[in-house]
Amino acid sequence: MLEDKILVFRFKRGSRQALCRIYQKYESSLLTLAVNLLAEPSMAEDVLQDVFISFVESVDRFELRGSLKAYLAKCVANRCRDYLRKSKRNRIVSIDDAAEIVSDANEPIQLAILSEELQRVSRALTELPYEQREVVVLHLHGDLKFRAIAQLQQVTVKTVLSRYRYGLNKLRSILNGEVSE
Amino acid sequence: MRPADPTEKLIKKLRYKASADAHNRVLNKVLQALDNKEKQRSAEVQPSIGRIIMKSPVTKLAVAAAVFIACLISLSLWRTTGSGIALADVLAQIEKISAYQHQGNSTLTNLTEPNAPLKFHYTMLRSQKHGYKKTMPDDPNGTVEYFSMQENALFVVRPKQKEYERIDLPSADARMTSMAQKQYDYYAGGIVKKILGCKYESTGRSIVDGVEVEGFRTTDPNYTSQKRPTQVDVRIWVDVKTRLLVRSEEHLTQGQTIWDFTTHDYHWDIPVESADFKPVIPGGYTRTEKDAFYEFAKMKDLTEENVIQGLRLYADLSGRYPNNVTWMPESQYQWSVFEKSETPAARRLREELKGLMEEEKANRLREALMPMHRINGFYYELRRQKKDRAYYGETVNPKDADKVLMRWKVSDNEYRVIFGDLHAETVTKEKLAELEAALPK
Repeated sequence: MLEDKILVFRFKRGSRQALCRIYQKYESSLLTLAVNLLAEPSMAEDVLQDVFISFVESVDRFELRGSLKAYLAKCVANRCRDYLRKSKRNRIVSIDDAAEIVSDANEPIQLAILSEELQRVSRALTELPYEQREVVVLHLHGDLKFRAIAQLQQVTVKTVLSRYRYGLNKLRSILNGEVSE
Repeated sequence: MRPADPTEKLIKKLRYKASADAHNRVLNKVLQALDNKEKQRSAEVQPSIGRIIMKSPVTKLAVAAAVFIACLISLSLWRTTGSGIALADVLAQIEKISAYQHQGNSTLTNLTEPNAPLKFHYTMLRSQKHGYKKTMPDDPNGTVEYFSMQENALFVVRPKQKEYERIDLPSADARMTSMAQKQYDYYAGGIVKKILGCKYESTGRSIVDGVEVEGFRTTDPNYTSQKRPTQVDVRIWVDVKTRLLVRSEEHLTQGQTIWDFTTHDYHWDIPVESADFKPVIPGGYTRTEKDAFYEFAKMKDLTEENVIQGLRLYADLSGRYPNNVTWMPESQYQWSVFEKSETPAARRLREELKGLMEEEKANRLREALMPMHRINGFYYELRRQKKDRAYYGETVNPKDADKVLMRWKVSDNEYRVIFGDLHAETVTKEKLAELEAALPK
């Protein structure tokens, strides 16, 4: 995307404005990605901060090949894995925990549209095994192609497609009330 | 493409947002990381602004981004003056404007030739969405410069020469990228932003061009990114009602060189169309090389004798001729080519530079190496006058008394030739063909 190329070009030359614009442009998508992966908004904020600081620190070596959003989404996914590994939180968050997360109006990160239906979707996502959740949100929120997700997860594209299909099926079941805890 | 199913659509609708506090908290930390990075960068040698005779700005990528940035800057840099106008507010106002036009004047004075300053006047039309268009009505070539955001390229069109340049960004030539970037970054908001990063003072209220204004001034050397010592005196005047720029004056002195840049006659928030920024390049125009940026051609004393003097100096210092004479770096960077040379001339100059302070050294180098820059000017002028020039410094050295080093046309059938031993002769076209056929391939 031309705008991203210009932004990266200017950012590489130290433009604060370009960095601000990149941040502003992708903040919401990346936060959504991180919250859905981690199911914890405060950690999502840390992830976003770490990803952008890393982006700043490595900008001299950075070459934009393909989509900037997809690149940042991959960084978020990698960072989320690190966080989960470190905090040993790689587990399925219960619906009750998730409900707390999305209903706390004082949280620094909130669902932009607090419709009941979307809250249900948000909770349902946390029910998925991490690998399936990662495929679903990276594809739908990070705009990553299945091939790129396969590289990230170090599995075949076929496996990624299966994880996506199983993930969506399980979500449908949860949302239709066919799966109960 | 298969249609998205309802579950996919629902997931896509999920959108988290950060609270204003969280947003500012993270962004401030990210910007702090950038500032730290910039401090590291500033320790590196930066190319001098000396070669660029002021161009103006371009761009801001989107109004929303600009407004947001202005707010951000205001958080960290908000400083009010005694009379109540905050410069950060001025910047925010400028960033809100989608298009504006102003006049500009640029003067470059070399104190070794104080009576021959290099001047030009321009009109700048700038749009956040489309780029900029700079017309230089007094330029002998009728030059018009465009920065097209759509094409991410800088265009320099010279109607009288029926030629144009195009520099796509980022360019394969890092120097061109840097040059284009500086022009792209220079704009009204850029001046204000640089002042905000310096120590500055209010100079009070006055009337400029019939408008009540408040003045601001900085003499902080941090105004420029130059590593070399630069004396700075920058003043701006801001409309107290609109908080927009009315006039700016930048006076920068670096060794023997003085730059004066003035912008004035601003028309803010004017309607523009994308066609206003589309380069007008009629069929039949030739795309040329990059050396049109050089203003050296306007130097005085661009004579054959001075070119020979410059070539001799280069050969004395390095034992060879420059590979390329379409451009030469600033004296300080040029010196790095000769710094380790063991020729007697290089050793002498090295001795002279020993113990000099940084500024004295820069001045001495500029003075000593100036004759070389006349080669660029002379060569540029040959092209401008379509004198069928050629230069063979890559293969011809000072011992090649019978080989053509540089040549240009002086009449329909004759060429002037500077040979490898630096003697010059006028030869016929046929003789030149023979001489050039004998050149090493």
